Amino acid sequence: MNAMVQFLKSLTLKELRSGMGVTGRYFFGKKFTVQYPEERAPQSPRFRGLHAQRRYPNGEERCIACKLCEVICPAMAIDIESEQRADGTRRTTRYDIDLTKCIFCGYCEEACPVDAIVETRIYEYHGEQRGDLLMTKEKLLAVGDKYEAQIAADRAADAKYR
Amino acid sequence: MVTIEINGKPVQAEQGKMLIEVADEAGITIPRFCYHSKLSIAASCRMCLVEVEKAPKPLPACATPVNDGMVVHTRSPRAISAQRSVMEFLLINHPLDCPICDQGGECTLQEMALGYGKDISRYSEAKRVVGNPDLGALIATDMNRCIHCTRCVRFGQELAGVMELGAPGRGEHMHISTYMEHSVDSELSGNVIDLCPVGALTSKPFRYSARPWELTAHFAVSPHDCVGSNMRVDVRRGKVMRVVPEANQIVNEEWLADRDRFSYTALNHPERLTVPMIKQDGQWQETDWDTALTRAAEGLRDIVQRHGAESLGAWAAYGASTEEHYLLQRLMRGLGSANVDHRLRQQDFRDQAAQPAYPSLGQAIADLEQLDAVLLVGGNIRKDQPLLAQRLRKAARQGAKIMQLDAVGHDLAMPLAEQSIVADLHSEMLGVLKALVSEKGEAAPQGLGEALAALEPSETQRAMASALLAAPQASVFLGNLAAAHPAAAELRQIARELAKLSGARFGQLAEGGNSAGAWLAGCIPHREAGAKPSTQAGMDWLQMCEAGLKGYLLHGIEPELDCIDSAAARRAMNQADFVVAISSFAGEGLKAQADVLLPQATFFESAGSYVNAEGHWQQARGCVAAPGEARPAWKILRVLGNLLDLNGFEYTSVEAIHSEMQALFGDVAMLAGEDWQAEQSWRPPEGLLRLASHPIYRVDAMVRRAEPLQATRDAEQAVLRANPATLDVNGLTGATQARLSQGGVSVVLPLCEDETVADGVLLLPSGLDEACGLGAPFAAVQLENVD
Amino acid sequence: MSMENNTLLSEASRADIDRWVAKYPPEQKQSAVMAALRIAQEQNDGWLTRELIDAVAEYLEMEPIAAYEVASFYSMYELSPVGKHKICICTNISCLLRGSDEVVSHLEDRLGIKLGETTADGRFTLKEVECLGACVNAPMFQIARDYHENLTPEKIDAILDSLD
Repeated sequence: MNAMVQFLKSLTLKELRSGMGVTGRYFFGKKFTVQYPEERAPQSPRFRGLHAQRRYPNGEERCIACKLCEVICPAMAIDIESEQRADGTRRTTRYDIDLTKCIFCGYCEEACPVDAIVETRIYEYHGEQRGDLLMTKEKLLAVGDKYEAQIAADRAADAKYR
Repeated sequence: MVTIEINGKPVQAEQGKMLIEVADEAGITIPRFCYHSKLSIAASCRMCLVEVEKAPKPLPACATPVNDGMVVHTRSPRAISAQRSVMEFLLINHPLDCPICDQGGECTLQEMALGYGKDISRYSEAKRVVGNPDLGALIATDMNRCIHCTRCVRFGQELAGVMELGAPGRGEHMHISTYMEHSVDSELSGNVIDLCPVGALTSKPFRYSARPWELTAHFAVSPHDCVGSNMRVDVRRGKVMRVVPEANQIVNEEWLADRDRFSYTALNHPERLTVPMIKQDGQWQETDWDTALTRAAEGLRDIVQRHGAESLGAWAAYGASTEEHYLLQRLMRGLGSANVDHRLRQQDFRDQAAQPAYPSLGQAIADLEQLDAVLLVGGNIRKDQPLLAQRLRKAARQGAKIMQLDAVGHDLAMPLAEQSIVADLHSEMLGVLKALVSEKGEAAPQGLGEALAALEPSETQRAMASALLAAPQASVFLGNLAAAHPAAAELRQIARELAKLSGARFGQLAEGGNSAGAWLAGCIPHREAGAKPSTQAGMDWLQMCEAGLKGYLLHGIEPELDCIDSAAARRAMNQADFVVAISSFAGEGLKAQADVLLPQATFFESAGSYVNAEGHWQQARGCVAAPGEARPAWKILRVLGNLLDLNGFEYTSVEAIHSEMQALFGDVAMLAGEDWQAEQSWRPPEGLLRLASHPIYRVDAMVRRAEPLQATRDAEQAVLRANPATLDVNGLTGATQARLSQGGVSVVLPLCEDETVADGVLLLPSGLDEACGLGAPFAAVQLENVD
Repeated sequence: MSMENNTLLSEASRADIDRWVAKYPPEQKQSAVMAALRIAQEQNDGWLTRELIDAVAEYLEMEPIAAYEVASFYSMYELSPVGKHKICICTNISCLLRGSDEVVSHLEDRLGIKLGETTADGRFTLKEVECLGACVNAPMFQIARDYHENLTPEKIDAILDSLD
């Protein structure tokens, strides 16, 4: 009985036709494919891309060298040295993120008590030399300075869920 | 004994003990802030509230004595609710700035808040703000974080003996501060950093440099004084970040002197020696180990060949490890010279053969607390051996009679029963002995009859004698100044007789960190390792100076600064043809005198063992790697031994040296001293005498370079001190500076009137840069007015 | 540091302090600190200088900070200059209910100063204090050692006029 059904199915090309049916449905249906880089997929405000260090509006760096990001980092990608700055505040003398180690989990951002280290929407970056993907404090602050408006807007958009 | 029940568990306890102690012993944790087992009870934080059945309200466990049949609940709903409420109150004014607080991660308040606190605070009003007093170079303050447990205040009052911190104000206006913007100058001040359960008092040199979770703990023994304090050295990425005490109840309890705690700050001093160096035509050149060691070995061999082995000498630091002392003396004796010494702060060695195996405290350190009468002769125990002074202070608080017999009336920060400040320690001690002899009605001890016959004891001397006699537990201690005395052997003889007659114990407060180890290891001319008499005759360091030896091997010292007789040391170095210095630091003085500099790892960077004043032998394994090319001294000495073709220098580890010593030391600890008699009694020289001993922060090359310590008030300024009468006699009343001349060297220094200094003496500490080149203490000096 | 050098405390004050010291065991001289501070304050126009606190501490052989703790704890010790007449007005619950507000505002208007201030001529200081234990006749204030109770503006004027 079973063999009979199998025979009929293969004779009428049922499987082939149902497969082609799926193809046909998508062929004539609405298109999802994004034509990157001409087109971009939408991003959430929580997108976890390239890191940045932020400043306060008065230009003072936010980071206070509490080292919570360093200790929470599961990939041990963050490296911090701290000292007392001449004005008595606690500051980093070195803040490195090794992007080749980073797994973009976002824990550093979660741990930060002052919203200093953040992950931006940037995901298009590359390095041409060894060391290019080691983000130093200067590089991180530069990213932060450049994209502050977007970063601030994203934090504001997400604030009510925190 | 009573039986109480804590959390359903029956516990046996001593009647009258506090509940918190009993719970601690039973392993039941009760949260606390103000309670500390070594301090008095304040019961001010209320964190330890527990429920006691039949009591109407929760009771503070730290101030509730146990009673038979007491039923206690530490985690009942009532207790928890009390603890939570207290926690909420404590956090009202706490700034919660944990991310920038150095205490963050090791903070009692953080832990308690997590374990016993509420999730949220209902307090939304403004928090109070308190100013931060400047407490000096060692302690950083953030007083907003203070929860007023008053541990720091009680520590000052009870253990450091000086109440520098207090809690003025009331209620919300109460704050911890000093009076009149003083700095905190106690030699034990660093302990308040550990005691502070929050981040109000933190370490200034460590400030903001690391987090507790980044640190790995290593064990070390402090070689800065004869206590041998146990230290926990916190290391981050191969760098010593800070030092905190490692609790050891028989040695340092839970404390550490500032000298031990902050000496690590010298590790990266610009004068740190990190590369072997040799002097070529008067110029220093950096070189490699092979060249430097070959040069050192050749130079030493050359001296032996040209002048004989006996014109070679070795001086070692007090704080070198026992292994280093042992190898150094083996190297020297292997070369055929027994001229090896570490007693660079003594000048009288007449009784050395009769001395015990090592300069001993005569009792366990912990036993100092049980003493009923103590005679302290010549030495500022408070600054020289801070933690021994702390033990005596405890005894004094329980009513022990502390008696000071000295040439300077140092403030020991404990009540003194008797005090005698005289220039002539020798005859003053004889006076006490005479008083003791006449009180007991016995004949004068052998050899002292003549000296005692003519004496008429003073009232103070009689009082001292009868206090020693009356006390069930008494001790006579000789301090650093007594050890540096030109008649130190006689002082030891008298002290021993005093102890014998009064039934007291005689102890020496060894002037250096590992004196006991050096004696046992044979780093002395007259004895080999294990206290065996030396087969070769050797010279003590002053005899070496006089003999004008041709070659020296210096180990961890800067001769002019470390030797009590700086003039003799300078002469000896100038007369020598070849000087090899194994050292961690090289200042201008050492560079001028040495020909080869071998960079040595400090005690933080090298394994080694140390014997403290009670004979407790402690091993440390090193904490970090030495910088640059610096190597542990035992390795340097080992290779030097190989290059000099000496037998038995095949050690591959410090443990091998240690076990070799262990076999030698086996049965010597018991070797007591023998009686010794002076041929004739010492008479002080005519004229104005100079007193000198090494001040607290000048004792070794490392401490001298620890900048935070040098910024404290205890960092001795080069000032001439004498009492007004002495200044008057010398025509210097009102003078602001004077020229001091001793043995052809003169210095002009500020002059200060100091009533604590005895008549007829002038105090200028040794070990100061300005005092380089001056002679030994208790020698006549000239003082001229230069105003 | 002998007591003879202690010249800041007058002869009379020292005699008075000695009387208090005698009430305590000889090894607990510091028990007399409160009385001694009061005596020192009376000697110095009603307020304590740091030097005076030092002098008291030295006289009683205690640490200066311990004496300062006491002096700063009790509101009866003044650590800054006060007027000739210190008016201590109770504003605690009973007096408040019986109209201490009016007493305060009347005094402030009349003297032209606020609570905690001293008049320019140095005659009066207004000080707010907690309950002085005279609730039965509230509102009240204290001047020197005298309590003045059942105060009304007229009565206050009469009291102030009677002071020199």
